[in-house]
Amino acid sequence: MKNFFRKFIPPEKWLKPVIVLLGIFFGLAAYAIYISRAPSYLSDKPETCINCHVMNPQFYDWAHSSHRQFTTCNDCHVPHGNMLRKYLFKAKDGLRHASIFTFRAEPQVIFIREGRKAVQANCIRCHEKTVGTAFIYMVQPNFHNYLKERTCLDCHRETPHKRVNGLSSAPNALVKTKIESRTERDEGEEEETGRGQHPVKKQQ
Amino acid sequence: METEPKRKPWKNWLLFFATMVIVFLLGLLASSITQRKAESEYVYKPKVKLDEYEPRNSLWGENFPREYQSYLQTADTSFASKYNGNMFIDMLERDPRMVVLWAGYAFSKDYSQSRGHYYAITDIRNTLRTGAPKGPEDGPQPNTCWTCKSPDVPRLMEKLRPIDFYKGKWASRGNEIVNYIGCADCHDPTTMDLRITRPALIEAFKAMGKDISKATHQEMRSLVCAQCHVEYYFDKHKPGAPDVAYLTFPWKYGTSADSALKYYNEIGFSDFTHQLSKAPLLKAQHPDYEIYLTGIHADRGVACADCHMPYIKEGGQKFTSHKITSPLANITNTCQVCHRESEESLRENVYERQDKVRQICDLAETELVKAHLEAKAAWDAGANEKEMEEGLNHIRNAQWYWDYSAASHGASFHSPIEVSRIIGLAINEAKEARIDLTRILFRYGKNSEISFPDIATKEKAQKFIGLQMEQLNNEKQEFLKKIVPAWDQKAKERENQWYKPENENH
Repeated sequence: MKNFFRKFIPPEKWLKPVIVLLGIFFGLAAYAIYISRAPSYLSDKPETCINCHVMNPQFYDWAHSSHRQFTTCNDCHVPHGNMLRKYLFKAKDGLRHASIFTFRAEPQVIFIREGRKAVQANCIRCHEKTVGTAFIYMVQPNFHNYLKERTCLDCHRETPHKRVNGLSSAPNALVKTKIESRTERDEGEEEETGRGQHPVKKQQ
Repeated sequence: METEPKRKPWKNWLLFFATMVIVFLLGLLASSITQRKAESEYVYKPKVKLDEYEPRNSLWGENFPREYQSYLQTADTSFASKYNGNMFIDMLERDPRMVVLWAGYAFSKDYSQSRGHYYAITDIRNTLRTGAPKGPEDGPQPNTCWTCKSPDVPRLMEKLRPIDFYKGKWASRGNEIVNYIGCADCHDPTTMDLRITRPALIEAFKAMGKDISKATHQEMRSLVCAQCHVEYYFDKHKPGAPDVAYLTFPWKYGTSADSALKYYNEIGFSDFTHQLSKAPLLKAQHPDYEIYLTGIHADRGVACADCHMPYIKEGGQKFTSHKITSPLANITNTCQVCHRESEESLRENVYERQDKVRQICDLAETELVKAHLEAKAAWDAGANEKEMEEGLNHIRNAQWYWDYSAASHGASFHSPIEVSRIIGLAINEAKEARIDLTRILFRYGKNSEISFPDIATKEKAQKFIGLQMEQLNNEKQEFLKKIVPAWDQKAKERENQWYKPENENH
C-alpha cells in the first residue's frame, strides 16, 4: 500500500510545480463545492431543491399545496428507513441531475422517472391507513403488490404539485431569501410548537 | 533520478490526460453553475423600472400583467354569498338597529359592506362619514383616514414623518391620494418581497415586544393584510403633536378583544359619547387579523393569502391570484386544496357557522338597543351621573364586544368559537346594564316597560335619532361635483410629470 502511494510522489525537481498544480486542482474543486452550495444537499430543506431555478414551478406548487404543512421535498422524493440508501439515492440522483444540467440536456417539461418508485413507497409510508381498508388487509395483506405498475400519482396527478407544464410555467415565482426562514423555524421549534403553528400567536 | 522506479511512458500520458479530463469537467461544471445562477437572476426581467413607492398600479402591471389583471378584477361586484360577498350592501338598511347603536357617531349616517380594493378611493370619497369638506382645512375627519386607502400613502410617508402625514384635515391631501390600494402597499419593487409599509403595524409589534422584521415569509402573507385589517384608534396625545390623530393599534396587552378593552380602559379612551344613553363608547373597526389569529386555520399555519389569494392556473401559467375576495367565490382553488369534501358541503359548513353566530349576534344587538333606550329613559327620569356610571360602563363593554364581532369581516368563519365567546360576553354585559337601569328606573317610579320606537327601516331609525339625511346627501353630492374633480385634475398634472413607460397602450 505504502509503495503504491510512493509511485505518485514525483521526483524532487518536479515537486514544486506538482504541488502548485494540485493546489489548482483542489482549489477548483473547492470552488465548485462552494458555488454549487454542495453542503446544502446533505440537509432536508426544500430550499435546497431550488438551488437550481428549474425547480421553481415544483417548489411553488408544493408551497401552495396542502402537503407543505407536513412534508419536505425529501419526505416524498428520497427513500426512507435506511440512512445509507437515502444518501446513496441522493448521491446518484444528484450526480445525474448535475450532469444533465451541465450539458444543458434538461427537457422543457420535467417528468419523474426512476424517482417514481421512491415517491410511491413514500405515499404508502404516510397514507398506509387510508390506502388499505381493514378488510383488504385481512383478506389480502400483500395487496400493495397487486397494484403492479399503477401508482397513486397516476390518478392523484395534481397532488401535491399541480400539473407541471414546463420550466416557464411559474415565471413570477421569484425565489427569495425570506422563504428560507420558514424552514428554519420548522426545524428549530418543531418540538416545542409543532409544525405549522402560527408563531405570532404562540408568543402571546 | 536512477532510484526512481521506472514507469512506462503511456502510464504517464494516461495520468496526464485523465487529470486533464477531470479538471476540464470540473471547470465545465463550475462555469455552468455560475452561468445558471446568472440566468436565474434574469428570469425576471422588468420592463419598467419602478420607484421605491411607485403608486401607479398600472405601471407595476407592465411587469406583472397576470397579477395586475387579476387585481383589476377586485372591481367585480357580482359575487354574493349568504351574508357578504363583494357587492355593495347598505348595512344600515339591512340592519337598522345599528343606526341607534351608533347614534351620535358618523357610522349612523352611512355604513356599507366594503367592496374590493379597487374601490378604496371611490368609496372613501362617497361615504357620508367623510362629510362634505368645502376646502382643504374643512370637514370632520383627519388625514389619518387616508392611511389605508392608497399606495400614495407610503409615497408621502417617505417624505414626511408619519406624524406629519396624519396632521391636518382629510380634505387637505385629497389631491395627493388618488390611486386605489395596490402593489406598492405590500411589495418591494425590486425583489417583489412582501413588505410592511404602514408604521402603525410595526409600532404595534414593538408595543407587544416583538420585532416584525423577524417575521417569516408565511407570516408576511398575513401581516401585509394586517397593516389595515385590524382594530385601531386615533391617539391624540402623542408628545410634541397635540391633536394629531396618530394611528395606533391597541395591542399593548395582546391582540384579543379583552386585552384591547383593558388597554382602552387604562388610557381612558372612548371614540364617542352615545347620543341617547350618554355612554362613553368604543367603536370597533375591523379586527379581521386579530380574530383570524384565534381560529383553527391560523393555528394550522394557513395565511390570509392562502384562501383569499389562491394559486391559480391560466393556460400553462401558474400564479397567485390577486383578485382578493371571499374564498367562497372560488372553493375549488381555496378550500379544496386541503379539504377533499364537495363544494356544496364546504359551503354549507361555512354557512352553518355564520347562521349560528348571526343568531346570537342578533340577540346582542336587540339587547343593546334596549339598554341604550332604557338609559335615556333613566336620564329623563332624573337619574344622576353617579347612579348611571355602572350601567353605562356595562353598555360600553357590551357594545365593544358586540361591535368587535360584528365589525370583523368573516369573523364567524375565521373563528366561530372566539366570536361566540365575545358575543356571549356582549349579551351578558347588556343584560347586566339592563338590570342596573331597571333598578334606577324603579327608584324613580318608572316600573312599566319602556316603549320602543319603530326603527324597522334605515330611514325611520335615522329620523328617530334626528339625522338630517337629505341635507347630508346634498352636501355630499356638491362635494363630489365641485371638490373631487379638482383633486383628480391636480393629481393628473403631477403624475404627468413623472416617468412614463414607452408603451403608451397600457
